[in-house]
Parts: sequence; C-alpha cells; structure tokens
Amino acid sequence: MDWNKLAQLLTTGVMLGSIFALVALGWVLIYKCSGVLNLAMGELTLIGGYVCLGLYQRFVTVMPITSAFILALIGTMIIGLILGLLTERIFLRKMIGEPILAVIMVTVGLSFFFKGMVFIIWDTDTQIFMPRVFSMESIEVAGIAIGEAVYVWGFVAAIILMVIFICFFKYTRWGLSMQACADDEMAALSLGVSAKFVYALAWAIAFMAAGVGGTLLGNINGLNYSVSSLGLLVLPVVVFGGLNSVPGAIVGGITIGVLQNLAGGYGDQFFPGGIKEIAPFIFMVIFLLFKPFGLWGWERIERV
Amino acid sequence: MSYLPCGIYQESYQADQRWWRTPFIKGKMISMVILLLIFPFIVDEQYLSVAYTISYYVLAALGVQLLIGYCGQITLGHAAFVAVGGYCSAMMVLFVPWPQFIVDAGLAYPISMICAAFLAGFWSVLFGLPSARVKGFYLIMTTMAAQWITVPLVITQYVSQIGGRGQAFSIPEGTLKIGPWAIDNDIARYYWSIVLVALCLLAMGNILRSKLGRAWIAIRDNDIAAETMGVNIVAYKLLAFFVAGFFAGIAGSFYISALFFVSPEHYEWFYSLLWVGIILIGGVGSIQGIVFGSAFVVLVFKALETGVLWISDILMVSYPEWGWITTKIIFFKESAFGLAIIFFLMYEPNGLSYRYWQLKNYFNLWPFSYTGKSH
Repeated sequence: MDWNKLAQLLTTGVMLGSIFALVALGWVLIYKCSGVLNLAMGELTLIGGYVCLGLYQRFVTVMPITSAFILALIGTMIIGLILGLLTERIFLRKMIGEPILAVIMVTVGLSFFFKGMVFIIWDTDTQIFMPRVFSMESIEVAGIAIGEAVYVWGFVAAIILMVIFICFFKYTRWGLSMQACADDEMAALSLGVSAKFVYALAWAIAFMAAGVGGTLLGNINGLNYSVSSLGLLVLPVVVFGGLNSVPGAIVGGITIGVLQNLAGGYGDQFFPGGIKEIAPFIFMVIFLLFKPFGLWGWERIERV
Repeated sequence: MSYLPCGIYQESYQADQRWWRTPFIKGKMISMVILLLIFPFIVDEQYLSVAYTISYYVLAALGVQLLIGYCGQITLGHAAFVAVGGYCSAMMVLFVPWPQFIVDAGLAYPISMICAAFLAGFWSVLFGLPSARVKGFYLIMTTMAAQWITVPLVITQYVSQIGGRGQAFSIPEGTLKIGPWAIDNDIARYYWSIVLVALCLLAMGNILRSKLGRAWIAIRDNDIAAETMGVNIVAYKLLAFFVAGFFAGIAGSFYISALFFVSPEHYEWFYSLLWVGIILIGGVGSIQGIVFGSAFVVLVFKALETGVLWISDILMVSYPEWGWITTKIIFFKESAFGLAIIFFLMYEPNGLSYRYWQLKNYFNLWPFSYTGKSH
C-alpha cells in the first residue's frame, strides 16, 4: 500500500472536487429558485473558460500576468452576469410552469446552441492559457506533494467564491429574497419579492460560478470540449448531495472529485480506458437505488 | 383521433378502433404506399439516402416515443440501446461461424437482427430497473448513465477490441443479405427501411390499442392512480423498456447496412438527445409525430448543409477569408437544432402532429367547422 500515492490522490481529489462544488452550487441555485433542471451546465463552464481565455490573451499583452488574470476573471464574471440575465429572459422565462420534460429539453437545446456557438467563435483545438498563469511545480506540505499550483489556487478560489456566495445568501437583501423564493414561492410573492428578479439572479450567479469553474478547469488541462463533459459531472454531484441542498452540493462535489481520482488511480489497472470519467455515473446509479433523494434532498410525498 | 366527416357514424367499438375507418382514409393510405414504392424511380439518387435516414430516425425514435410519449418514462440514453443493436448485429454477421446453407439462404442478417433486438431489449430492461423506484429527473439520470456506461465504456473499451480490428468494424460488401437480396445499394436500403418502418409502426399501433398500451397510458397519466386501479406498474414499466429497446435494436441493426463501418461515434449522446428532440418537434404521444419530426429534422439538416455550402461557395469567390464557414457546418447544424427545439417548445408545444390534426379536422368538417378550443 502506497500511502503517499493515496494521500496525493485524496488531496488532488478534494481540490478538483471544490471546483465541481462551485459549479454544482450554481446548478442547485437555479433548481432551488426556479425548479429548472439544467443540463446545459457543461456548456456554461465551456463558455466561461473561453471568454476568460480570450480576455486574458488580450490583457496579458499590456500588463503583468497576475493582474491580467484577475482582470480577465472579473471580466468573465461580468459577461457571465449579462449572459445569464439574457438567457433567463429570452429562453427560460416563458417555460415557467411547463412540464419537466419541456423545461429539460429547453436546457438541452441551449446546450446545443451554446456548444455550436463556442466552436464557431473559438476553434475545437485545445487552447491553453499562455503564458501560464500557475507554475507547474507541485507544492509540498509535510512531505506530501499535494499537486500542482493550479490545483491549490483553484481550491482557494473556489473556497473564496463559495464563502462569498454563502454570505450573499445569508446577509444581503437580494440573497434573502432568493432564499424566500426557494422556500415558498407563493409566500415570497405575497411579501413583495419579485420572482422574476430572483430567477434572473439565479441564472446570472450560475453563469458566473460556471465561468470561474471553467476557467480553473481550463487552467488544469487546457480548454477543449472535455471541459464541458467535466461540467456534466455536476449531475452526479447534485444527485449525491440532494437536488435542493447547498451544503449537499459542496459535500457532493468534493466526494465526487475524490471518487473520480481514486477510480482513476486504482481502477485503471482493472478497467483500462475511461473508468475515470464513467465512475461517478456508475456510483450515481447505485446510489440512486438506495437513496433516491440524495443526502439532504427533500423527499417528495406524492398524492393522487 | 380526428373528427369524422359529416354523416359517418360508428355503431361498435370495433368499428371505432379500426385502422381504416372511412374509404377516404383507405384510399389515402393505399396511395401513400404506392407513392413510397415508386419513390426511388421519381427522385434523384441522393434523396434516397435522405429517405432512409428518415426511416432510421423513425425506427430509433419509436422507442423514445413509447417511453416518453406513452409510458411517461423520460429517457435521454436511447442511443445506447441502438448501439447495442448495431454492434450485436454487426458482430454476429462477422464472427459467428454460420453454416453454409444459412449463408446461402441469406438468413444470417435477419437472424442477427432478431438477436440484436432481443439483446437491446434486455439491456434496456437492465437500465430500466431503477424506474421501479425513481422517476422524473432521477430516471433521466439513470438513463443518461446507461449512455455513458454503454457507449464510451463497454463498447469502446471492450466490445471494439474483439477480433482485433480496433475501433471500427467494417462490414464487407454483400455480407448483409436477406434471402436472395443483398443490401448493398441505396435502393435496396430504401426498400428494406420502408418494410421495417411499416412493420414497426404497425406493431406499435396495435400494441397501443391493446391492454398493454392502455396500461402504459394509464401509467403516463397518473402512475399512482394506475397502481390503485390494479395495474402492476413495475412490470409494465419494464415491459415498456423492453419493447423500446427492441425497436432500438431493430433500428441499430438496420443502420449498419448504411454505414461504411460501425464505430462508437455513430452512437454518441447527441443522438439520444436528437431523438428526444424529434418526438418533441413531431408531437409527444403521437405515432405520426415520429414521422413528422424525423422528416423535419433530416430535411432541415439537409437544407442547412446545402445552404451553408452554397453560401460558402459564393463567399469563397468574393471573400476568401470567410471560407472557414465550410469547415464548421456541423456546429451550425447543432446550433440550429438547439434553437429549433427551444422554439418548438416555446411556440408549438404540441408539435407538428397537432397542426396536422387541425388541418385534417378543418377539411373533415368543412364547411361547417366548429373551431372550439381543443386539447
């Protein structure tokens, strides 16, 4: 048993998982506030990554790397905000109250549309952040190599953003109105909360979170279509944590990240090939059979 | 069911449930069959491939329509079952040591098609098992998992390695024979697809008129109420998954005759979503809707392809720097398909078959049409 390898897999798993958790947070937010099950999350991360890359390549010519990256990240979040508001207004506003299949297929249509647009504007070749934002050397803590700097910084950024989002929900007026709307829409409406505003805000935040997630994922392996399949991993994450639970999304993200890394590290010798990508889905199916509502999701009681 | 023309009454349920209720419908269907039979002789060669692609989509979307439109079980992983059908059929034709008399009689391909249909059906039941416990979004997740587990893992990593041929199986020309006819040109493929589509649509229509179909529709409308009425919902849901997988197997087995080689890229997740999109465009819960949806999608794709090529030809001459558009046709297709789904769901949620239904009623009731709100 190689303890060092295990520790390394676990730590990189936690750090990768924190990025999943960030994206999953945006997903859960949309679901909680407006009841839309969003299958376009992978494409949202893709858009975020490419937008940030484009901005970074322009900024880096006139300023140092660090400030260029931070500015590009802020620019990505602003563009994400605008795109989120537009998407909600144009495509999703009309679908409120429609059957589940219709709403899901609208998000599927959105994912096709976004994917096509991304590949028309940027190309399908893998693109990397040049010059590199994070150094390639691995950082060591207590003798264990915990992965390249990009993982550590991704972890830090994801944690900071999650704290900001949670503070936003707890202490600001807009965040409280989102919570109220998620809890009981009718009561929130009667107290003067604008549901339309809350839906728009949820989509904007999801776009921003996915944009940051896409940027971090793009920094790890370069940007190409596989980033969007990493974005699809958000689905096992939310199923594991429970669809409408914010802590569930965070715990689920980290669990799936660790599980994926362990499967890649130990399963590859038994199942050569793509076990790393498939393991979360297999885990999800088995988990669904035993706990259909996830760890902390609300159980739905049905009556005729 | 559309309204009958003035003056036609039915006096028994049997008469009401008949396939051809009036002489006009009978005449319409017979003329349609004749048109389909002479179709290869009146159009250009290139449209035959369009026609059998439509047939392939009809066969594949049939199972999706059964699950979503009639049984209420949303599936987003149907390409997995089509892939199982295609691979099973291709590998049986290639690797099973058939006795010479079966090869001579041209039975290998039909036998492999039946086996493929059953295997795809059982594979589908395997992934339908969670439907006993979960539904809605969670069922979507398990069917998506079927796609991820089947195509990128099982087929790409394991099945494709059999025989050491790498990722793609190519089927030698003339191997696929039904009796004395070899399926090796577009006309043969077209007729073979028409026969299969006719048989499958007939089977589907008849199943839906039976006890089985009524049980599925009851489950779709309200599963708890159906259970209290004595419908064994687990058994009927699994049966729905089996029949849907069976049709998918037939579709996959048919389509290998049109492919130069069988490889996992023909069964990507895109196709699962495409078939769900087809039934949404055509109309959920309508057999005609499958045909309308498939025809719409294939023809729009064809038109886009022609249009983009035409535009890029013009651009190439006057603005050579715009030539990149040609290389990105597939992304224009995807974007257009995405927008088509969205706008159909927003502005035409009942699909094309609803418009057809309105049109039929308009003519059936003319000149005294009562245009009340329907549906």
